[in-house]
Amino acid sequence: MINIRPILRFSGVLLVLLGVFMLSALPVSWWFGGQDFQALLWSALICIGIGLPAWWWLRKDAKGNIGKREGYLIVAGGWLLMSVFGMLPYLLSGEIPEWYNAFFETSSGITTTGASVLTDIEAVTPGILYWRSLTHWIGGMGIIVLTVALMPLLGIGGIELFVAESPGPTSDKLHPRIRETAKRLWLIYVGFTIVLALLLWAGGMTPFDAVNHSFATVATGGFSTKNASMAYYESPFLHYVTIFFMIAAGANFSIHYHLLKRHFSTVFKNEEFRTYLLIIAAATLVIAVSLVWHFDYGVEKAFRDSLFHVVSVITTTGFITADYSQWGPGVVMIIFLLLFVGGCAGSTGGGIKIIRHLVFIKNSWLEFKRILHPRAIVPLKVNGETVAPRIMTHIIIFLLLYLLLTLVGSLALSVMGIDFATAVGATATSLGNVGPAIGDVGPVDNFAWMPPAAKVWLGLLMIMGRLEIFTILVLFTPYFWKSN
Amino acid sequence: MSLENQRASQIAVINTALGSKVEARRDHTSRVHQTQNCMRVVIAGAGDVGFHLAELLAYEDKDIVLIDLDQDLLDYASTHLDVLTVRGDSASPQVLEQAGVERANLFLAVTTSEKTNLMSAILAKKIGARQTIARVNSPEYLEEVNREIFDELGVDTLISPQELAAAEIARLVQQCSFTDIFEFEEGKIALAGITLDDSSRLLNVPLCSFGQYCTDDSVRPMAILRGHQTIIPHGDTVLRRGDHVYFITKRENIDELNQLVGKTKVRLKNIMIVGGTPLALATAKRLEADYNVTLIEKSKDVCKELADELRNTLIIHGDAGNVTLLEEEGIHRMDAFIALSPNSETNIIASLTAKNFGVYKTIAQVENKEYIHISQNIGVDTLINKKLIAANNIFRFVRKGHVEAITSLHGVDAEVIEYVITKANQLTKKSLKELHFPKTALIGGVIRGEESLIPTGDFRLEVDDKVIVFAMPDAIGKLDQLFR
Repeated sequence: MINIRPILRFSGVLLVLLGVFMLSALPVSWWFGGQDFQALLWSALICIGIGLPAWWWLRKDAKGNIGKREGYLIVAGGWLLMSVFGMLPYLLSGEIPEWYNAFFETSSGITTTGASVLTDIEAVTPGILYWRSLTHWIGGMGIIVLTVALMPLLGIGGIELFVAESPGPTSDKLHPRIRETAKRLWLIYVGFTIVLALLLWAGGMTPFDAVNHSFATVATGGFSTKNASMAYYESPFLHYVTIFFMIAAGANFSIHYHLLKRHFSTVFKNEEFRTYLLIIAAATLVIAVSLVWHFDYGVEKAFRDSLFHVVSVITTTGFITADYSQWGPGVVMIIFLLLFVGGCAGSTGGGIKIIRHLVFIKNSWLEFKRILHPRAIVPLKVNGETVAPRIMTHIIIFLLLYLLLTLVGSLALSVMGIDFATAVGATATSLGNVGPAIGDVGPVDNFAWMPPAAKVWLGLLMIMGRLEIFTILVLFTPYFWKSN
Repeated sequence: MSLENQRASQIAVINTALGSKVEARRDHTSRVHQTQNCMRVVIAGAGDVGFHLAELLAYEDKDIVLIDLDQDLLDYASTHLDVLTVRGDSASPQVLEQAGVERANLFLAVTTSEKTNLMSAILAKKIGARQTIARVNSPEYLEEVNREIFDELGVDTLISPQELAAAEIARLVQQCSFTDIFEFEEGKIALAGITLDDSSRLLNVPLCSFGQYCTDDSVRPMAILRGHQTIIPHGDTVLRRGDHVYFITKRENIDELNQLVGKTKVRLKNIMIVGGTPLALATAKRLEADYNVTLIEKSKDVCKELADELRNTLIIHGDAGNVTLLEEEGIHRMDAFIALSPNSETNIIASLTAKNFGVYKTIAQVENKEYIHISQNIGVDTLINKKLIAANNIFRFVRKGHVEAITSLHGVDAEVIEYVITKANQLTKKSLKELHFPKTALIGGVIRGEESLIPTGDFRLEVDDKVIVFAMPDAIGKLDQLFR
């Protein structure tokens, strides 16, 4: 039977943590005049007020076993809980009064998607904007991983949670103990955030904008504090710094760990990382050439804009510096396909992830060899190591489910009266946690015009995409609820 | 110049029946026994490698102690060789002391168990053996990075029969027109065996008129195997079709030798290996970078393990005895066929099948060292016995004194011995033709510093020269007197 008490207790811990994050927005609110001070304070108090008792009262009988089932429930439930309670500041401050809009904005934030229902971002009060960016940062590395890292006293092993929440089919442990691994990942994450914020500040942003953009970049989110997103800034320095950190955030964080430890050969032998850079380079080249060829673009500007958008989409960040929907159908198609690529496993990026494409393509390629030599034993190797058939099947099933979910998602939107391109684009961008898409939800549009049902549906798709489908879908299978 | 003179003065035709080798050695051993002070060698393991080593060392006039658990093996050894035997586990300090390890100049651990060998060698060193050599299987131990660990533990040299045999097979494949090839001094001088056919320019020409075909001192026949007879050639010896001739040559003249015997240097491309033994794995690893390697193995599990280790080799799950399978995998397109399964007979039959399909080069691994002699008669190009190879190689390490190396040629009743001139004596005072060199021995090559020379009659040796001598057993006693 599923052990419900540790799940409730863990949810309590999550709520307290969420409340603490809300409290961190108070100084910002106070500094800028405090219009949203009360809303943030009350939201924090509600979260802590519900979370703390749950944490405290269940402390005795929460030592029960956390198995696979409990792990999945904690992760899936935790993310839903955060998407719901994260709405409080928007609702209480009146910045986003409708619950479905608030839900969309919160899940878009916490899943690092970056799609927005706000039509005039610059009119929103700074405290709420800060909270909006902070949801990215909380969701980027995974709050459950953070909890495991911070709360050794929970008595929870954490491996189940780590696997359920971490992006990608492989979780490279950097340390024999999961808690230490989580700590190292979060240290790198925090380090990146601080360095990027300082660089952006040095590049001409206000400290407030610098911190917000830093949150959105290292989490590969995409919420900006400006209506025009990164296009508001004309400084190439800011663009290149953002590009660099988007690439870093979209790479496997164990790569950064190895770089810090100076294991350079491990890094450059990593096939996923190499493929990642290769795809970025190839797509950038094609788009840049097309821009110089068809439009009156300078070479540097063409290179910068194409690189920016390719990186922004592939890492599932979603910042923009230009309106790529004006760049011709070929380029729009490339951007659309990049929605399905995603970052590396173990990054803060969403999407399908390079490693899955790599395994799929390699396996398909080897299939030709297997056809010619029916008796040959042809193993699939990534980074020189054989990929077990079990993992291979899992990856292929994931790819198919992902595509199926894209189709089902688009179908649902179409039924709500949304046109084909927009429906497919919106589904792909939500499932992949990217942000901008094609059609009527292109780079300079937003999601405000969509019907409420579509917003809730897309919000759920985002959470499903962030938790890589299985974690959510497994809850809807009969196997999950059977006692054996 | 006076190449012919030298030959005429030194060479005699000797027809010695096969099988008299061991007796000849034992006579010789007893003859020189009195003149030498005793050197104690303890050999752990009386299997093929141990026995063969004891055989080689016995005629080096050593006190040999054999340790083994198997009384039958010990009985066999003590009735065939002049050795002392101790029954027991060589990894036991008590047994080692019983074998007199504390007085041993050399301890050789060559049992089939790698762990026993390492343990015994470590113990032997601590008890007092001056030098220790252990036979290992895992290629990992041989890596340079682990060198220091074993030095500290007290294992001076590690020998892997597999790696040595794999290296020899790779050499045979690279120099594919030769049936066997031995290298001296890191390949500066090579002894290459070749079976002459109609395309050779050397047929039916007396050796004294060789000069018109080749430059002065590049290539020289050292021994001829005609049927069961071993012939040390002299000036008027005529080579015939079907003769198996051992030529001595310098590294830079190998291509010239190929031309002389009418073999255009064939560039092999496709190689088929049969059997999934560790030797097959080691061989495939060496070959797969430069050739298209196909490996056939019966057991699916072994296939999978091999597939993990190998990068470019095509691994086929199937029985090499199945000719249809061989045809499907393109045996008629193969340039070389290497049978390395554990079963000697299977290997020989498979190689003959391959020969039947027109494969240019066939190599078969045999367990039984007596089979080595028949390779020329049955039509397999080369038979390999990894234990003999290992024993010969260990012997090279053993004698760092006067005799540098000794090699037994398959099927030829003669030995190749490497001597070092340690001090000025009559050898360095006279030219070769003035020396009273045994009639049944021949100086094949001289290594002077970085230079390799094939000497003529007027040649004069110098101190520190390394001399490669080809000798029939009855000449070895005289040679030892000459060189010491």
